[in-house]
Amino acid sequence: MKITIGHLYPDLLNLYGDRGNIQCMKMRLQWRGYDADVIEYNLGDTIDFAKTDIVLLGGGSDREQMIVCRRLQEIRKDFQAYVENGGVVIAVCGGYQLLGHEYSTPDGDMEGLHLVDLVTKQGSPRLISNIVLENPIFPYPVTGFENHGGRTRLGEGVKSFGKVVCGYGNNGEDGQEGVLYRNVVGTYLHGPLLPKNPHVCDYLLRHALENRGVTGPLEELDDTQEKQANAYIVNRFAKGKKPQGS
Amino acid sequence: MGIRTTAAIVSARALSSFCKIAGKQGVTMAGKLAMKIDPGILKRLASQVKGEIIVTCGTNGKTTTNNLICSALEAEGRKVVCNHTGSNMLMGVAAAFVLSASPGGRLDADNAVIEIDEASTVRVFPHFKPDVCVLTNLFRDQLDRYGEIDITMDLLRKAFDMAPEMRIVVNGDDSLSTYLAQESGHPLVTYGISEQVPGAQGHAAGGTHEIREGQFCKRCGNRLEYRFYHYSQLGVYHCPSCGFGRPEIDYDACHISLKDGLCFDVAERSPDQGARKKALSIRANYRGFYNIYNILACYAAVRTAGIPTDHFGSMLDAYNPENGRNEQFRIGPAKVLLNLAKNPAGFNQNISSVMEDTSPKDLIIVINDNAQDGRDISWLWDVDFDRLCDGSIRSITVSGLRCQDMRLRLKYVSIHADLIEDVKSAIEQRLKDGCGNLYVLVNYTALYSTHNILKAMEKG
Repeated sequence: MKITIGHLYPDLLNLYGDRGNIQCMKMRLQWRGYDADVIEYNLGDTIDFAKTDIVLLGGGSDREQMIVCRRLQEIRKDFQAYVENGGVVIAVCGGYQLLGHEYSTPDGDMEGLHLVDLVTKQGSPRLISNIVLENPIFPYPVTGFENHGGRTRLGEGVKSFGKVVCGYGNNGEDGQEGVLYRNVVGTYLHGPLLPKNPHVCDYLLRHALENRGVTGPLEELDDTQEKQANAYIVNRFAKGKKPQGS
Repeated sequence: MGIRTTAAIVSARALSSFCKIAGKQGVTMAGKLAMKIDPGILKRLASQVKGEIIVTCGTNGKTTTNNLICSALEAEGRKVVCNHTGSNMLMGVAAAFVLSASPGGRLDADNAVIEIDEASTVRVFPHFKPDVCVLTNLFRDQLDRYGEIDITMDLLRKAFDMAPEMRIVVNGDDSLSTYLAQESGHPLVTYGISEQVPGAQGHAAGGTHEIREGQFCKRCGNRLEYRFYHYSQLGVYHCPSCGFGRPEIDYDACHISLKDGLCFDVAERSPDQGARKKALSIRANYRGFYNIYNILACYAAVRTAGIPTDHFGSMLDAYNPENGRNEQFRIGPAKVLLNLAKNPAGFNQNISSVMEDTSPKDLIIVINDNAQDGRDISWLWDVDFDRLCDGSIRSITVSGLRCQDMRLRLKYVSIHADLIEDVKSAIEQRLKDGCGNLYVLVNYTALYSTHNILKAMEKG
């Protein structure tokens, strides 16, 4: 069984250690005996969604994000079909913002891909912090680092990726971070996200494997080091704190 | 000179001495105190420098290049003001001048050689206008502090505009620095390496994907084409669409050998822009391909300032960095090398120089996430650590505040690391059970304390 990860536009979107997310998914598949194939799509390439099991859309500068957004508009319909059919997407920072309806800045508005019901407005100052989230679907907290100017708001009834225990989250106000929609995870967390959060990585892998007809729980791995790195962040930044608004 | 200036200088000196006794660096604090007492002090002291003021900017190589320039000038018998320790924001720059001045506010200096943090140039240039500015390179560095490279470039552009007469000595192999320097309209001098050097990246066969900035032409947005890369985005490039490209190189390193230290010739283009002629041969007993750039930048800057270079070769022989940049220690029978590695481009180059030493070795990596390091350590994942998977490396130990992240980083390239959070314990352990050839790579805030630990151990 082979899982194919499509890394979208790494030549433009490659801030904040996105490579770590790719490496993490690849290794955790291989450790379980699955083949993992990573295809890097550059700007001129055609993306074959039928062959893709996981899409990774990373972060970039505003200028680079704009270039990517224009390109993605051309394949919006294919991307939407992929998402609606349960295709797995992990979108980080700039990639997360692109999933929504629009990203507005004082210099002009960028139309998003309308894949998920959310909008982002650029604000000031940038929200920069270590961050810890909680979500009951995960056995322990999600930890990472955030650095974004955008303030994202989710549409009515749209689920977030987690509740903020420490840090800012989507907009620094409503206590929510990221988005979960079908098999799409959008988030401002990097660090990168997946190595310190193997439970999130496995969540993505499980859905990708299910789409290929592999059901049942994933084989357990020895995550001692991952859990220690995760716990270090929780203990240092979120000790004794509860999710905002609860 | 008023009472205010005297008060500022005397207080700053007292504070600096006190910090030294207390084992703290305190340079920045001394500068801050002096500027608070007398806000005009930096301007007044800088105006007393008799000759040229040379400044060094750029993501990597600032401290080494700047200290080399200072040594080159001192070797010619000049008195130089220099911020040796690498305190390179406004207050650190002020301290360098204040701590060199007499209590009466007199500064006896032929030249000033000052490194400036890129983002601080706009705060420093209102106080003095440099004659020569070296721009070493632009890489991603501490995204949480500086933001994207575009933001750093905007700040440098503003600073350059403040000093229209200044000549810029720029690394022509870096498309980003070259673009910035060319667009500024300042008189330019370029340095670079025109020949492809085997082993420059150290992983030509490894098939790794080094993260490269500036893959797209800053002038027109099209993808740049490269004849070859040295490392990161440094190389021989041109834009197929708008004609932007690597400029003619005024100071070119050639006949390069990386075996047993560095060995190369510098070819210099004559002022009438004719053919390059061999100007001198360099032989340096320290490692690291990137040091070719540092030496080239230094030589080009000194020549551009019109200062003699009669003792350049002997200066390099005697040059012994004592600031944790490639600094060597002898602790009992063991050889210890300390080096700063604070961003992906710098770390990759450090790994290259570690691997140039093919004898058995132990490695300690110290990663902190204090404010000066950048609180975001995601850059660790942009470093090609897989290259450490090599039989000559006997052990890797991770240490510092974010040792957990560092250990995990290595786990995902299938490299085992021991974790000892306390730096001193880590060094002691590896001196006890290691092979006697220890490399310690640290990021910024770990540098000073690790240096002190090793210095104390060396004294025994």
